[in-house]
Amino acid sequence: MKARHNPFAADRVETIRYRPVGATFAGILARLERMNYRAAIVGPQGAGKTTLLEDIQRVLERRGLRTRKVFINDSSPLDRPTRRQLMSQLRSDEIVLVDGADAIGPAMWTLLKHRILRQAAGLIITTHRPGRLPTLIDCVTTPGLLGVIVTELLPKEHDIEGPTLDRLYHRYQGNIRNCLRELYDLCASDSSDVGSDHLADDSLSSMRRLRR
Amino acid sequence: MDNKLSIHFREDKKTFAPGQAVHGAIQWSLETQPHSLELSLFWYTAGKGTRDVGVVDTLTVDRPGSFGSKDFSFTLPAGPFSFSGRLVSVIWALELTCSEGKETVREEIVVSPTGREIVLGDETWTEDRPRGNPLERILGRRS
Repeated sequence: MKARHNPFAADRVETIRYRPVGATFAGILARLERMNYRAAIVGPQGAGKTTLLEDIQRVLERRGLRTRKVFINDSSPLDRPTRRQLMSQLRSDEIVLVDGADAIGPAMWTLLKHRILRQAAGLIITTHRPGRLPTLIDCVTTPGLLGVIVTELLPKEHDIEGPTLDRLYHRYQGNIRNCLRELYDLCASDSSDVGSDHLADDSLSSMRRLRR
Repeated sequence: MDNKLSIHFREDKKTFAPGQAVHGAIQWSLETQPHSLELSLFWYTAGKGTRDVGVVDTLTVDRPGSFGSKDFSFTLPAGPFSFSGRLVSVIWALELTCSEGKETVREEIVVSPTGREIVLGDETWTEDRPRGNPLERILGRRS
């Protein structure tokens, strides 16, 4: 299958926003407000933490609040120049969003947390384990959630078999991102071209939005 | 009245060699009088990885009024070619947007020295490949 027709292509997957299990997005936002925008989104890999952080950022900006997002991982570490730049540019009306706070060592985290909370209007992080800030939400996935997402990505006339989905979900220990990547590879490995365009938003303006 | 934007290619030609010129005209019929219209020639990727986008050229029509038309001409660069593999596709398109409202129209074109989208691994795919619809095989079919 051509990459452009793969129903599990990255741009299609990105159209799927965070689906709270046992909560509502409005409820999460209300709780965040009560927590004075000092909170952690906790959960394992592929549970939707980054997606939820992006969704929260979008809503905060729509409400006229300033945000600054910092993404940290192995290839994008929070090294000294980056830290200095962050602290020198911080504004008192900004809410700082740190995606991947686990990558910051404990001592550096303590220092950074206090400085950000002193200088900025809020700090929201994603982390695999609780404890760095009060937990806003513990992101969880279920086989049912995977099913809903897969059904949304698939062409209308196709469906998923429950056992296949369950096997996939358990193989990747609930990591939805990896399940979708596996499904991408399965579709890519075939030469048939049965992809769906029904969810694709290929407009240049939407691409620019995604890249921001 | 419906808002209408359209892109028309000279002689309906939508397949081009790298370096060739893309000629055509845009037409608009809108309820409002927008500040501007923008026609962009760009390519983008789709596939397993993060999407990449390259805007090659843009034509802006300031104060276009509520209806009208304008010719355009873009010269294509040497690449990338329109192609598809298993991991990534490169797709070329023209997109016309209106400064107000959400009206957008997009037309795909093919940029290739062969006159067709280049499909990577085309030959190997035809050998020893599983038969049937992969999604049906993997996922089943809705009744």
